[in-house]
Amino acid sequence: MHDPHRDAGAATFAVSRDTASDDAELLRRIGQGDEDAMAAFYRAHGRAVFAQVLLVAGERVLAEEIVQDTMLAVWRGAGSFRGESSVRSWVIAIARRQTRDRLRGRRLRVVDEVFLADRPGSGPGPEAMALDRAELAEVMDAIRELAPAHREVLGLVFGSGLSLPEVACVLEIPVGTVKSRLSAARTALSRILNEKGQNR
Amino acid sequence: MNADLADTHLDVADLIAEATGQVADDRVRDHLASCAHCHAEADRWTLVADGVRALAAAAPQAAPPARPRRSRPRVLAGRRQRIVLAVSAAAALALLGATGYGVTAALSGHAPGTQTGALTAVSGCAGLEQADGTLEQVNGTSLVIATASGQPLTVTMSASTRVSLSGAPLSDITDGASVTVAGPSSDGTIAAGLVVVGGRLTLTLTLPGIVVVRGKAADVSSAGFTVVTSAGTRVPVTTTGSTVAAVFGAPLDQLRAGASTIAVGYAGPGGTLSAVAVFEAIALFHPSPGGQAHTSVTVGNCSPTAIDDAIMALSAG
Repeated sequence: MHDPHRDAGAATFAVSRDTASDDAELLRRIGQGDEDAMAAFYRAHGRAVFAQVLLVAGERVLAEEIVQDTMLAVWRGAGSFRGESSVRSWVIAIARRQTRDRLRGRRLRVVDEVFLADRPGSGPGPEAMALDRAELAEVMDAIRELAPAHREVLGLVFGSGLSLPEVACVLEIPVGTVKSRLSAARTALSRILNEKGQNR
Repeated sequence: MNADLADTHLDVADLIAEATGQVADDRVRDHLASCAHCHAEADRWTLVADGVRALAAAAPQAAPPARPRRSRPRVLAGRRQRIVLAVSAAAALALLGATGYGVTAALSGHAPGTQTGALTAVSGCAGLEQADGTLEQVNGTSLVIATASGQPLTVTMSASTRVSLSGAPLSDITDGASVTVAGPSSDGTIAAGLVVVGGRLTLTLTLPGIVVVRGKAADVSSAGFTVVTSAGTRVPVTTTGSTVAAVFGAPLDQLRAGASTIAVGYAGPGGTLSAVAVFEAIALFHPSPGGQAHTSVTVGNCSPTAIDDAIMALSAG
């Protein structure tokens, strides 16, 4: 009889759902003009895309317009999806381009902020203590005050649930830069929390 | 991952994986258990992750497109309008889904796997089989399940069989209990859709708008409780009548006849199933008169951990 414990100690399997084939099928149907598939696609990805865009753009009306344009781009361009990335990272990348186009001209500082953001954080120091003391609501407020590039990378990893390689593809930067940007974002977050703590 | 974890600390990728519940390497887990520095770093990343998820959960639903773009041809504007209607309906469904994603969804029917008699092969582990149906009897350490095919199946339990219940009373949430809470967040308070009590707390949900927090329950009352995370962060949680509680490691006497039950294990003598894990959804799932929905269990490998994770996923829907 099979020993049910023969593989005890094997690597832990992280719970996840393989929705890749479902998403690809949805895109195939969208490419054929299936509006039900478009609705299903929105159900699956709309909220995540909106949350990510809102996190970066910071304005609800603007974010809604960007999501609408993103969904229209999906409707028009579903046939161009080649399966080289996950559908989630593909649609997030479309939303990011839409966001960049809409913000261009009024937020040129974003480029400079990205450059600065990629400096690696100095690692856990006194500022890390601010995170150790922080409440969830304080962290939420501090995230809103981060530079767009920092909000963006945190949102992609923790909000949209993309892997680091997927984030690298969306942002068109190496994985190593994604890591350093994440570290820089957390350092900036700690500084904000620290300043708020000192001002209390 | 770092080449030699004994001599150095985890890198950002490992810490992020821990914060998102995706650590798949026992060496990382071992290092986290023994390294206070990395444990603290992982807790900090987890708090950042919780903050981002809470913001995403607090984001309002995007409104459907209101007007066609001026530069678009008239025919396309008409088509867009139809899309808008479909998307608008989808948005409403998405909102409903965000609050009702519990076990009912998990048991609402998946494509069946290879089925032999009352048993179905479990994907991901050769020899592992499942039986699902309605629990008819509990006889000491054996169960009788009425399967969809109409065949009664005897499931034998052992001391190592893990019993999990979904739809357990909220009174099972007590001060000091290890809990994982999932639900939408507003102003730092989570409206619990799902509360998992016990288990190894590795559950990860990536549903849009849903925040997941792990820790110990405190200040339990009829209206909710507080989750105290390993970093000491206190997260208020509200519960309602629609909150689904799942208990892992429940005593056998909590199994209820008439409830939907899934047993996972290995074929035993005389057509019985020797159960590794039993999952029961209390009062949440009622098979349609025309037949029962079938839920396929998929595991990553044959380890008890992987089977537990699969059972946890059933609770999460």
